[in-house]
Amino acid sequence: MGDFSLIGKSMKRIDTPLKATGQARFSSDLMLPRMLIGKVLRSPHAHAKILEIDISKAEKLQGVKAVITAKDTCADKWGVFRYTQDQQFLPTDKVRYVGEEVAAVAAVDEDTAIQALKLIKVEYEELPAVFDIKSALESGAPLIHQDHPGNINIHVNIDVGDVVKGFGESYCVREDTFTAPEDSYFQGEPYAVVAQYDHTGSLEIWMPNAGPHLKAKPLSNVLKIPLNKVRVRKIAIGGAFGGRSEISPADVICAFLARKSQRPVKLVYTREENSIATRQAHSMIATIKTGVNKEGRVISRDITCHMDGGAYSSTGPIAVSVPFLCMEQAYQMENVRYNGYRVFTNKPIRGMFRTHGRAFACGVDLQLDMIGQELGINPLEMRLRNARKVGEFTPTKSYVASCGMTETILKAGEKAGWNEKWGKLPPYHGIGIGCNSVQTGFPMGIRGGSQAFIKFNEEGGITVITGIVDNGQGNDNMIVQIAAEELGLGVCDVQLINADTEVTPSDPGSYSMCETFIGGNAVRLAAQDAKNKLLKIASEALKASPDELTVKDRKIYIEKSPNKSISLSKIIRIALSRNESISGEGSYWPKVDSKREWVENPSGQLSETFSFGTVITEVKVDPETGKVDVLEVTAAQDVGYALNPKVIEGQFEGGIAMGGQGGMLSEYILWYNGRVLNPDQLDYMVPLAIDMPRINNIIVETIDPNGPYGAKEAGMSIAMSAAQAYCGAICNAIGVNIKEFPLTPDKILNAIEKKVKGEQNP
Amino acid sequence: MKKIMLTLKINGDKYEIITYPNRTLLEILRDDLLLTGTKESCGEGACGACTVLLDGLPVRSCLLLATEVKNKEITTIEGLAKGEKLDPVQESFIEHHAIQCGFCSPGMILTAHSLLNHNPAPTEEEIRFAISGNVCRCTGYAKIVEAVKALSKRGRE
Ligand code: FES
Ligand code: FES
Repeated sequence: MGDFSLIGKSMKRIDTPLKATGQARFSSDLMLPRMLIGKVLRSPHAHAKILEIDISKAEKLQGVKAVITAKDTCADKWGVFRYTQDQQFLPTDKVRYVGEEVAAVAAVDEDTAIQALKLIKVEYEELPAVFDIKSALESGAPLIHQDHPGNINIHVNIDVGDVVKGFGESYCVREDTFTAPEDSYFQGEPYAVVAQYDHTGSLEIWMPNAGPHLKAKPLSNVLKIPLNKVRVRKIAIGGAFGGRSEISPADVICAFLARKSQRPVKLVYTREENSIATRQAHSMIATIKTGVNKEGRVISRDITCHMDGGAYSSTGPIAVSVPFLCMEQAYQMENVRYNGYRVFTNKPIRGMFRTHGRAFACGVDLQLDMIGQELGINPLEMRLRNARKVGEFTPTKSYVASCGMTETILKAGEKAGWNEKWGKLPPYHGIGIGCNSVQTGFPMGIRGGSQAFIKFNEEGGITVITGIVDNGQGNDNMIVQIAAEELGLGVCDVQLINADTEVTPSDPGSYSMCETFIGGNAVRLAAQDAKNKLLKIASEALKASPDELTVKDRKIYIEKSPNKSISLSKIIRIALSRNESISGEGSYWPKVDSKREWVENPSGQLSETFSFGTVITEVKVDPETGKVDVLEVTAAQDVGYALNPKVIEGQFEGGIAMGGQGGMLSEYILWYNGRVLNPDQLDYMVPLAIDMPRINNIIVETIDPNGPYGAKEAGMSIAMSAAQAYCGAICNAIGVNIKEFPLTPDKILNAIEKKVKGEQNP
Repeated sequence: MKKIMLTLKINGDKYEIITYPNRTLLEILRDDLLLTGTKESCGEGACGACTVLLDGLPVRSCLLLATEVKNKEITTIEGLAKGEKLDPVQESFIEHHAIQCGFCSPGMILTAHSLLNHNPAPTEEEIRFAISGNVCRCTGYAKIVEAVKALSKRGRE
């Protein structure tokens, strides 16, 4: 790649000095004059009719300034797609899970607000409820939504090639069922919203989000005010991991409380509310049938997958599809059939998670290991023989423009010492491998593209204006890095205005792993647009044609004679005096098939490019306790091009913690009749520093033809494949293939015991 | 409940506060004194986001009543930098990319600061042990450990 000043360098992130000193402001840190405290009343029932809500006593309590119910928020239903509009922000007729919002208050302080909640009387009529996929699908099961017979929320069917014929031609076929319960996002920052609504009819609102524009539109719809009156402001965000994408009832409730009271309102969720009433990850049952030839190449695959979607659709159609799509990207599949069902239950709402679909991905990979066992082919070789290659099409017809799948397998294998270790480790030691692939963007309708502006000050410094949002992954820095690089500026010459719907143009948000690719490309184009204008003026001043000129160190100079130069500030002054505009404008629209639709037409270019990752994990299992000691993890991902290698390593390491260490060893939600038993930090086991193993990071670069500097998604392929690698390693260590995840000590001990008794075939 | 008056020493300053005796140190810091660098993530003593230093030792301010900390020196993240000059731990966290979303960072930095004060040459194991009361959901801890290790007199062995 070219000779860059900032790109490709592990420069310090521009946002971290604020975060290191406590100066960064998160939503719950905001304090506004006359601000009230909001609190939400939640349903104690999993499924019940709401007969009456009496707020009269609460309204009369000293210090209470607003009480709202569904009467205030209108009965409109919200949904990500036109065909999934099934959730009212405050329900009118019935509640569908324990913890669903029913009413809310704003009061002068928290104690008063809590007291007011106790004064709201809700009369319910309890209805029979369903708490798992199986009982929701039984005939005669209580219906959660009247218009969804059988409690089927979404069905996605994909059928490519001839699966039956494929199985007929296979040398070896096996079918297994894999399951995993729900997991929790557990972002560092519990959800929090601050809103103010004034007499001009404008809303100003701050909340964690994965795209301010994704929040603004539904707020404008439900408040019935023009979009320009909804001003979602930039704020520091304490992690998202897929769980901050959509509008949340909390946003709407806070906005209505602010409107009704005409005072700023702050609504901060407790940790428990964050676990129950934001989003959870789906639980899943995946039945996978795979047929291979003698060499272990997959000839045919048939998958049926049921996901527990909870009470409402959320991102349902996407959630059903993505686990399959990741796998069809990672591995070649000629004949393949997929039937994915999202099922309604009386449980909290499920969304897309960083390691969405662990039963699915771990199932596909563990089954490859099992087939390899039968054929005498080792897991790494099985991956190599089925790995996706550049220039191919996925079964659902996405062209793969860049692909380092094979390279990540080989490099991870070499670093981890696969050949020296596989089959040669002592008893209860094991090694496992996982591969995955992730999209860099989805077809997102009119929100699919990003635009950016750049304006200069008279010294030659710039302000970049873009809708890109930073959830913690370093997007703010990415914007500055790209703009400064293109315009030959230092980091301190760049100011950033972003993630504010009043000022910034449209952007898809930090959703679907697309910000670097789509937003980053838009920023780069805006900078190039500005640069071209600068070069035009410089070429006159330096008497050279624009293509002989280079921008660097705040100067434009003739490449062949670097002593002939003109400073950017001089050029800006010339432009100002001539009344010539030198602002930059850029927009990027990804090349995806706009006719592709999740349910109706799951075919065509899904994402302009894909990332590919491999993780190898080595473990030691204690056969007495079932405890897993993770010795080493090696992660290799094709990131296109590493804009900031340290940032990418951080994504790998965080992904291994969440996907592997947490996702495969300790994280799952415990239930009792639709009630979450472990919503809090003491009982939900996220990895700690002492739990984490040594990690080797390998960045593979394939230079994507359309990514900014060749960059694409960075880090998600690792989070996903970490779970798979952990799973394979543990099963290898104990010599039993466990199909129920996560692999907690009780399951491991059980499996070992059964094996010793000779009850279970590996 | 009757309000009481108490004096707190925070970041070298004295604050006289009239408040209810049931309020936690975290609530006083964030809501009354607007020292919002101290975060609340779990509210039950399990995550370390609310860590402050009490006479130089890390404590969880969500578990302490403000009345319990009279006459002690309290240091919050706002008190670590001296004017424009950041504390070496803050510098090192920035330098080593130990901060992603930053929600855990104030607590994590104070814990690391205290560790290094009491044990200037911690091993990697000691570092991991010391910060294991501080949960980070983003980083997988690798870069945090590196940032602290870089300040250990033991060097980066
Ligand atoms: S908020 Fe105090 S330990 Fe979590
Ligand atoms: S950086 Fe996000 S929780 Fe630690």
